[in-house]
Amino acid sequence: MTTSTIIQTIVVLGIVAVALVYVLRRVIKTTRGNDCDCGCGKNCRSKKH
Amino acid sequence: MINKQDKINNTHTRLLDNEPVGMTVQVVRVMGDGAFRQRLLEMGFVRGAQVTVLKNAPLKDPVEYMILGSHISLRHSEAAQVEVTDKDAEFCDMEDAYNGIVETTVAGVDPMEDNVLRIALIGNPNCGKTSLFNCVTGAKEKVGNYGGVTVDSKEGWFNIDGRKVQLVDLPGTYSLTEYSPEEMYVRTYIRDNHPDAILNIVDAGNLERNLYLTTQIMDMNIPMVVALNMWDEMEKSGDHLDIEMMSRLLGARMVPLTAYNGHGVKEVLKAAMEAIDESEQETRHHNVNYGALIEDCLKELGEMCPTLDRYTVLKIIENDQHALELIKGQDNADLVRKTAAEMRQRIERDYNDDIVSIVTDLKYGFVRGALAEALTANPDRAIGETKPGYSMDRLLTNRWLALPILLVLMWLMFEATFTLGAYPQEWIESGIGWIGEWIGKAMPDGILKDLIVDGIIGGVGGVLVFLPQILILFFFISLLEDSGYMARAAFIVDRIMHRVGLHGKSFIPYLIGFGCGVPAIMATRTLENRRDRIVTILTIPFMSCSARLPAYLLLVAAFFTAKQGLILMSIYLIGILVAAITAIVLSKTILKHDKTQFVMELPPYRKPTARNATIHMWSKGKQYLQKMATIILAASIIVWALGYFPRHEGQTPQEQIENSYMGMMGKAIEPVVAPLGFNWQMGVSVLTGAAAKEIVVSTMGVLYTGESDATEESTSLKEKLQTATKANGEHVFDPIVAYSFMLFILLYFPCIAALAAIRREAGTKWMVFEIFYTTGVAWLVSFIFYQVARLL
Repeated sequence: MTTSTIIQTIVVLGIVAVALVYVLRRVIKTTRGNDCDCGCGKNCRSKKH
Repeated sequence: MINKQDKINNTHTRLLDNEPVGMTVQVVRVMGDGAFRQRLLEMGFVRGAQVTVLKNAPLKDPVEYMILGSHISLRHSEAAQVEVTDKDAEFCDMEDAYNGIVETTVAGVDPMEDNVLRIALIGNPNCGKTSLFNCVTGAKEKVGNYGGVTVDSKEGWFNIDGRKVQLVDLPGTYSLTEYSPEEMYVRTYIRDNHPDAILNIVDAGNLERNLYLTTQIMDMNIPMVVALNMWDEMEKSGDHLDIEMMSRLLGARMVPLTAYNGHGVKEVLKAAMEAIDESEQETRHHNVNYGALIEDCLKELGEMCPTLDRYTVLKIIENDQHALELIKGQDNADLVRKTAAEMRQRIERDYNDDIVSIVTDLKYGFVRGALAEALTANPDRAIGETKPGYSMDRLLTNRWLALPILLVLMWLMFEATFTLGAYPQEWIESGIGWIGEWIGKAMPDGILKDLIVDGIIGGVGGVLVFLPQILILFFFISLLEDSGYMARAAFIVDRIMHRVGLHGKSFIPYLIGFGCGVPAIMATRTLENRRDRIVTILTIPFMSCSARLPAYLLLVAAFFTAKQGLILMSIYLIGILVAAITAIVLSKTILKHDKTQFVMELPPYRKPTARNATIHMWSKGKQYLQKMATIILAASIIVWALGYFPRHEGQTPQEQIENSYMGMMGKAIEPVVAPLGFNWQMGVSVLTGAAAKEIVVSTMGVLYTGESDATEESTSLKEKLQTATKANGEHVFDPIVAYSFMLFILLYFPCIAALAAIRREAGTKWMVFEIFYTTGVAWLVSFIFYQVARLL
């Protein structure tokens, strides 16, 4: 395994880990509710009803 | 001397539902009780009001009526609750109800207590509150030419004269009586948040109905500015309003406004700030004068409840349960309740009517009296004459042509989406292909290149190419909404909705559901009955949302060479059909209930503006691109990683992906999806689509890109699907498999955001039910279609 391959593998695994954390956070945020409480997953300024 | 009740009793009355089309009659009374009766009264079905029967819907029910310049749809069974008489019959003196105003003194307040000025936008549905909100705050909240678009409050900020102001857009409401959820929401907001001023938006072309709500706000003693929206239409109509006189009568500033083009916005805000500044000193407020008897009662009861405003005191006399709740903690609560009951009896005895009708009549009487002094109607316009642009309504809601026109318009929309969208799609496709090739050549072989080319470009690019179609479809939907046609579509299909056990009001959430299920599920809050709400919530996911569109566009373009618009339309229609069947089953079994009565206002026809349609289209496009850059990008990377690892030396790309984690997962579920004609790649695509439906396409983009040989020339996902083969050399996809796959994508469980919304609005039990029910239905429908189509 060359150094380039090792660095590339580390970078790719890092990107995959970030993507995984992002998706999991989004899913948790959506299911638990968010600032806007509308389930859209982003702060759309809707107030809690 | 003949009293009022004798006059009514001596009047020859009949029921509104028996009146023929074209007839104008006068309202005598609304029978029954409860929320529906209250709603009819508030919408202007008060004693002496003139109603014109405009037409029957194509399926004979409901009927369109015109009252106080508004077009209202009532079913026959509901119109049968309204007693009417000849339009010239003299059975009541309308002038009796007009007693002018009374003045009350309100102490000065400090509006800067929390350093924030708060202005609330309040008005009837579809009077332009959100248009003004967007104009002032620069927001892009959805607006539509029908009521019920805003279901909760939206907050925005603006600066004026160096002061920061919070503007709150509240749902449209006909009154603050707290009979329906939106009324309750607005009333609670005012009570809990004490806005520094109320900006009451009224439709200048329909003042009589709109000012009813104004009379309620007047009694709350909150600084108020009345914005006369759609002033341009008022001027065109030839009517003349003496704004100064009207302002004097209401005791509130009135400012002309045309919110959609921003004319008058500055003046409206300036007037609101002046009203707030004035409220810091002791001010004289104008209130409706309800006549000596009621005024005496209000004074006496007001002294017993010094902390309550005039509106709430009147509500206590009306025996309003929410108002009575407010005095629970008071020491003299029992005495207040007893006194109010005695007063109510006295008033009802004197007026010979029930208290709700009396107060509504008096409020409308005040509005009529004020308008008689300040409004000069165009003498060339006759009673019952419809608004401009209404002539085409005869064609659009014609008994025989209405449904075919609705279907043709839908078909045209889908066909245009395909044909017009094909050109920009090709450009984006070649752009993405070029980027992929360039990166492929520029980067050395390795895992990073595979991630960028196969994972990111293959996944995100596969979905991005459908941006033009999304924009075109929403441009057309926006045109139809703004023109007022969508509300007519609800009128046309109302009888069908009623037959399948759905509430007429459900139409608006369904309409929103074609865009996104989450706001659609929230929009069911306007339904009063919980069972109606649950049925609507559970059927909304069958309205195909825009996130599913890329999958249809990909499959239709790849496997159907002719009649593409028709094929796409059939998918949407099947969704509607399954929703209807589900609604019938649910409303006749586990969610059985009596039909809720419903009155719907039909908005006027308006020329859609390119600006509004472009804003709507742009906001949809922005949402789509944001999704690309976030959830779809992240999901594509994960799908790629699951399809890339573990690595096996010496295997072909196809063998590698089959032995990957994704391949193992796909093989595990393959037996379940094989009877539907799906391979394992399609199986995992629908699984990953749970996060967001666009991911179905991005997953296929990753899986099919990963499978292709490195030496193979770069081709689009469409071509890859067309050429994909099984181990035995047969094509994976053909039109039957593609259609079966589209049916499954249409019907299977909604995305996580929609499920979360279902849980919040209906509860966990119904969310779990929805997951199993929708997936079961999807599997069954796809299975039947695939197996039957294979036999034929």
